Amino acid sequence: MALPLLVTAAATPAFAGLGAAGRPGGDDELVAEGRELYETGCSSCHGPDGRGVVDEQGERGPSLENAGEAAAYYYLSTGRMPLANSEEQPTSKEPAYGPEEIEALVAFVGTLGTGPDVPDVDPEAGDLAIGGEVFRANCQACHGAAGTGGALSYGRAAPRLTSAPPRQIGSAVRVGPGEMPVFGPDLIDADELNGLVRYVQYLQDPEDPGGLPIGRTGPIPEGFVAWLVGMVALLGVVAWIGTRSPIRRTRGSEP
Amino acid sequence: MTDPRGTEESPPVVTRPPSTGDDELTRRGARAERAAAVSFLLAMAAAIGLTIVYWEGGQPQAEGILLAVVLGGIGVGIVLWAKHFMPTEDVAEDRHPMESSEEDIAAFAADFQAGGSSLQRRRVLVATAGGACAALGVALLFPIRSLGPRPGRGFKQTAYKGGDIRVVDENGMPVHPRDLPVDGFITVWPDGHTDDADASTLLIHFRSDQDFQPKAGREDWTVDDIVAYSKLCTHVGCPVGLYQAELGLLLCPCHQSTFDVMRHAKPIFGPAARSLPQLPLGLDGDGFIIATADFSGPVGPGFWDRGR
Amino acid sequence: MSEQATPRPARRSPERLYTHRIARWIDGRLGAAKFARTALNKVFPDNWSFMLGELALYSFVVLVLTGIYLTFFFDASSNRVVYTGSYEPLRGVEMTQAYRSALELSFDVRAGLVMRQIHHWAALLFLAAITVHLARVFFTGAFRRPREINWIIGCTLLPLAMFNGLFGYSLLDDQLSGTGLRIVYGITISIPLVGTWAASLLFGGEFPGPDIIQRLYVIHILLVPALIAVLIALHLAILVRHKHTQFPGPGRREDNVVGERLWPTYAFKALGLFFLTSGVLALLGGVFQINPIWVYGPFDPAEVSTASQPDWYMGWLDGALRIMPGWEIRAFGFEIPNPFFPGVLLAGVTFALLYAWPFLEARVTGDHSEHHILDRPRQRPVRTALGTATLSFYVICFFGAAADVLASTFGLSVNAILWTFRILVLVVPPVVAWVTYRLCKELSARDGLPIASQVTMREIPRRLLRGRAAET
Repeated sequence: MALPLLVTAAATPAFAGLGAAGRPGGDDELVAEGRELYETGCSSCHGPDGRGVVDEQGERGPSLENAGEAAAYYYLSTGRMPLANSEEQPTSKEPAYGPEEIEALVAFVGTLGTGPDVPDVDPEAGDLAIGGEVFRANCQACHGAAGTGGALSYGRAAPRLTSAPPRQIGSAVRVGPGEMPVFGPDLIDADELNGLVRYVQYLQDPEDPGGLPIGRTGPIPEGFVAWLVGMVALLGVVAWIGTRSPIRRTRGSEP
Repeated sequence: MTDPRGTEESPPVVTRPPSTGDDELTRRGARAERAAAVSFLLAMAAAIGLTIVYWEGGQPQAEGILLAVVLGGIGVGIVLWAKHFMPTEDVAEDRHPMESSEEDIAAFAADFQAGGSSLQRRRVLVATAGGACAALGVALLFPIRSLGPRPGRGFKQTAYKGGDIRVVDENGMPVHPRDLPVDGFITVWPDGHTDDADASTLLIHFRSDQDFQPKAGREDWTVDDIVAYSKLCTHVGCPVGLYQAELGLLLCPCHQSTFDVMRHAKPIFGPAARSLPQLPLGLDGDGFIIATADFSGPVGPGFWDRGR
Repeated sequence: MSEQATPRPARRSPERLYTHRIARWIDGRLGAAKFARTALNKVFPDNWSFMLGELALYSFVVLVLTGIYLTFFFDASSNRVVYTGSYEPLRGVEMTQAYRSALELSFDVRAGLVMRQIHHWAALLFLAAITVHLARVFFTGAFRRPREINWIIGCTLLPLAMFNGLFGYSLLDDQLSGTGLRIVYGITISIPLVGTWAASLLFGGEFPGPDIIQRLYVIHILLVPALIAVLIALHLAILVRHKHTQFPGPGRREDNVVGERLWPTYAFKALGLFFLTSGVLALLGGVFQINPIWVYGPFDPAEVSTASQPDWYMGWLDGALRIMPGWEIRAFGFEIPNPFFPGVLLAGVTFALLYAWPFLEARVTGDHSEHHILDRPRQRPVRTALGTATLSFYVICFFGAAADVLASTFGLSVNAILWTFRILVLVVPPVVAWVTYRLCKELSARDGLPIASQVTMREIPRRLLRGRAAET
């Protein structure tokens, strides 16, 4: 995980104290609900105190001390967490928790330390063209010019962005989950983030004036269409116009 | 099968087209004629449709499909016409060996020889004319030289040369270490040279748990766990745009060269054979990141005398 | 001079009046009647596989026609401007005039986008047609005497077409094609001794240089098309002089050619094929989006996207670059960098072998006589096996260029894929050669056909080195 690793001896749970040291405010009821959900579903890997767990095989789950609401929201809403087997790479799937439960867990994790909050993303206020420029400068190298995702090394991948809601996009940008780098507010400020999210939403349903977009991954599908549609059609035409080889009429006889 | 060889002397015998019988047209022929006529009519309709679409403002899919129907309709009609109503039975034509007769070749050689004797005998003229033509050829090559500058020091140095130059982002803003969060990366250039294609630089803020091991002599080239490498791949020069923060790897999307950020960006996979050149960093008086010297080596893809 | 009495044309057939008179007028100026009659009666075999070259020819015609249209709108300038046109996601973005003119053509010119797309699809199919035509000519031995010159012309048309395609889509100055030009630059400078000079002269300096779009424009719309047109004309003229080859069959001998006459049948079949080819290209151009430059954005030398591939016909080269391990030669401060080997050496060897093939084969078989009857591939096991093996090599390289897209589509490791291709590219061609060889022998035996040449694989090196002397 791209979160700072802080391994401490298992401390006695002292959540009230941590709560006071962490974010002030927040709905106490929500946080309490979150704490309950956390104890049942998350503490076995992330520790009863949120400081992570290290066993004989290594780190079972990292500390969530500076994960922040944004990381919790990202991982829970994309279904990457909870992760059944800590040895596996987290992958996107159906979220295990409903939206209210996610809000509760998010509020709770936010109290554990000083990590980034879920950014307030307002795509409507963003400039589409600026968002496009930010996207091409920072995102397309891994996620592709049309947000269709891309391969990283050693089996990792940058996911497709075509179904991500705005808060998820914003959270990912600020958190840098997995292999993704962290893009802080000094690199992409709040206005640029709005534009970026607006552009990613545009990519989810872009203009295709040229016709069938055939995957939006560039020359590879185009080459397949050229051969499997174009060349096949032309060979069909040529088969219709031309004759078959006269050889077939002489099977078994002298050439 | 008749073998009517149309020769110079006798006209060829025209065989009967396949779909005309004793009556005007066989049933197959009548069908073919109908199909061809329909094709042509469809083509006409599509052409009219095309002009309407265009008049109304145009629409690429409609234009393409209608154009395809026009062209395809005409094509189908013509091919049906040829297949059914033009003679398709095999005819044969003589083929002669390509080689000319010995007499013809000898006659040519004799004529050429006779005319060319003046060329051969006047040796002084042959030599001086050859020299003049060769000189002309060489002289004509020189305008090619104007096409571009001599490949000079630009291949081996960047605008960071001289040192103590601030690094700036694409908007020209200088970078302070606190601007770059842990696991963050940013592309920067020398101050005032954000358009220099060879000077694009990656600043990467690695984590303390990532076991960064600088190359010997480069221990002070980083600032606050921020390291700088040239963004140009040492394979064929694509920007190495993919930073895998967890593994600390830089991946070039063009041909999958992979560089280990924690080990002076040395290549660990793919066709690149050299590390990404590293830029020595420092801080200026205001705490902004500067380059204290040029890159550790020529940036980008290799060339013949890169090492000299 | 007394006028020959020509019978007065009947009033009932007005067309005989005018066409007859025009024909006589032309003949009076060119004396063309005899030539025209010979031409009309020329016989062409109409086997479907002989029409593959025509597919390439007609694609070229479509390229020229659509290309001329595009030149009226494209502006090959590297001057930087700010876009204020109708495609909202790029409004206010800085770009070159070249890229902007391409956007305007795509969004604001009626029929502009469909013309651009037809042009690009036609380029892809031009090369596909050349490839299948080349394969047909190779596997049937149609390159043998007297057709070696036409083979050489064809082998020249192939790289000309490839380069023109590459330069054509690079004119638009979008991110994807600009990345491709960066690779071209990198491969060029890898050439020993002259590499940096060649790149500096071509680009006008270090990459990207201020002039490359304009220079590529001249090369793409004038120099290469003119060369291609001249070579195609020569190619066809020589074909007519030789008369087309034919497959063995009833009535077909080395001293005749059997088929249909040019007039009317073959001419109209050819015309029909032209219309149908253009129709297929028009359909592709309207229905399938190709090269959506607005998604890629304007070229920026510091940016790049994942899944950056060239058009399909350059795929074998890009794949070879990816598959090649990171080996270089370095000594005394000089070096032959890695890209030279797959990018220049492999390409050079490929085309050298292609050009030399008719002469190599003649030397090995000792067969220097004219051939107008084609081989059936199964009767030439050695040639066919070497051909399929070579094809398999380039097909593997071609798929190598898609390594990252294969990885992300199928959830595999791109490193594992490239390692697999490294092994496949060495192992598969010999296996394909062996399988093809055995298959040819089996099929020939089953059909009772003799093997056309008694030369076995083992004898090839000796025969190559000693030539004619080896036969005695």
